[in-house]
Amino acid sequence: MSVPRRRRAALAALLVLLVGAPLLALAPAAPGAIRVAGVSLLWWYVGIVAPLLATAITVTALVRGDG
Amino acid sequence: MTALAAAAAWLQPVLLTVLTLRVAGGHAEAPWLVLGALVAPLVALLAPARRPAGPNPVATAAAATTVTLVLAADLVVAGDAAALLGVAPWHGVALAAALVLLVPLLPAARRITAPALVLAAVALLLPLGAVALRTGVAPWTAWSHGGLRPALTFPEASGWVRDGERFARDMRLTFTEGQRVTALTEGLYRVVERDAAPPTVREWRLAAGDALTLRPGDELTVEAGARMRFDPGRRMPGMPVTGMAWADAPARGPAMLPGALGALITLVGGALALVPATRRGGLAAAAGPLALMTAVSAAVGWGVYAAAAAPDLALGGSPLAPLVRLPPRALGPAPGGVLATLVVAAFVVLLLAAAVALRGRLAAIGGGRPALWPAAVVLAAALTVWSPDPWRLLLLALGLAAAVWTPALLASGRSAAITGSGVGAVVFVALAGLPLVAPGAAAGLDTLVRYPALVAMPLAWAVVRALGEGVGTPGRPARPAAR
Repeated sequence: MSVPRRRRAALAALLVLLVGAPLLALAPAAPGAIRVAGVSLLWWYVGIVAPLLATAITVTALVRGDG
Repeated sequence: MTALAAAAAWLQPVLLTVLTLRVAGGHAEAPWLVLGALVAPLVALLAPARRPAGPNPVATAAAATTVTLVLAADLVVAGDAAALLGVAPWHGVALAAALVLLVPLLPAARRITAPALVLAAVALLLPLGAVALRTGVAPWTAWSHGGLRPALTFPEASGWVRDGERFARDMRLTFTEGQRVTALTEGLYRVVERDAAPPTVREWRLAAGDALTLRPGDELTVEAGARMRFDPGRRMPGMPVTGMAWADAPARGPAMLPGALGALITLVGGALALVPATRRGGLAAAAGPLALMTAVSAAVGWGVYAAAAAPDLALGGSPLAPLVRLPPRALGPAPGGVLATLVVAAFVVLLLAAAVALRGRLAAIGGGRPALWPAAVVLAAALTVWSPDPWRLLLLALGLAAAVWTPALLASGRSAAITGSGVGAVVFVALAGLPLVAPGAAAGLDTLVRYPALVAMPLAWAVVRALGEGVGTPGRPARPAAR
């Protein structure tokens, strides 16, 4: 995959991750309020899962970047 | 510039401290603000790198205004820090302004930005780790404890109960149970009594030591700088009623979606202007995203532990209070004081690193005019006289950057850049200034008034693309690459 294409794919993935937070928080029936191991699904997502994924995606795209 | 140095422009003390305050206070918008604060600069790091498409006076004015507003927000936090340390807020503002003015002028400033940022991120995490170890509670367990509180009440150890505390901003406190509060500073206190229709408004001029009795449903308006003392064991006014309400804000619902999108567009659009793209590869490129994740996670962690151990720290509206007051509460005065000092030092370093980065961004678009930086710092310090809400200042700054500065950077021709910036500026100013000229209309357009970039940025981009010189088209690139 070329560098620009890899970056575009990474950008798209980041934006999908970002939009996931309000969707999970504001969807009808509040799926984000479901507790998993004492913590709401929403906070697992915004506090752990999405940050780790977003950082991993960015690091991968940057490390294998132009330089 | 490396990805790490680019990240310095984003890691403003105001951003991190307000995130902590929002999490600790159970703000309904906190979850997507937390994620947006991390993902927005990551998007900017990966976005296509471009060069300026020639002079653009509209974008230059917007950049200078953006930098001034961001600095002002940081200086307001510095004033709050001074107040927490027991001195007048203007001492903190003056000291921070002097540092921000002078340090970026040092020859070595740009070289030490990146290592300083790493040190600051570690210094933010260390005291948090100490609190976690001392309490023996993991972050997710702390969140769970905070969410299980039957009621958020003032503990005996609270500063609000012992000596009273200061409100950093104008506040409206709604009381869910009757209680007596003691004013510790002379001033005007307004109470809205809602037990009858229409509500009754009473204004009380209280002297230091005077008490005020409030009933359930009463709303007390307190001016910034006022000090008050509360009774122990009573519910905290203006805070979530229970842990459940802290964890799942009752206000959160589908009606908030436009506001959430507005916040995210403002963050991403602002980051595209403030954080330069980076093209350098290799393992060193990982440091920027990792520093961003560490700093934002630390801010969230502080908020969660504050909510679990001392939610009253979020009451006064001071963004630094949960970070400076939590260590002494959790670990005792002596070790806690040392760790609180470490936290303050970390924010001073973050402020200086951010100032160096902001000055670089201003120079890049302002053509290196030496007077721009001192003018921005002096204006920013002057703005703090009105004790504005630092979060509102930051949102205005990022929104303006998103609506005016970013479209100019993503256009590849000068005419498209200027026209796009002009359209963004007109729409942004019209929406942001609506409450001043038409308060009635502004009430109906609350989301757009709070987040003008929600409309202004897409319109400006549409103009840039309609002129045929938008992103991805051949021509002279506009967004500067990090060097």
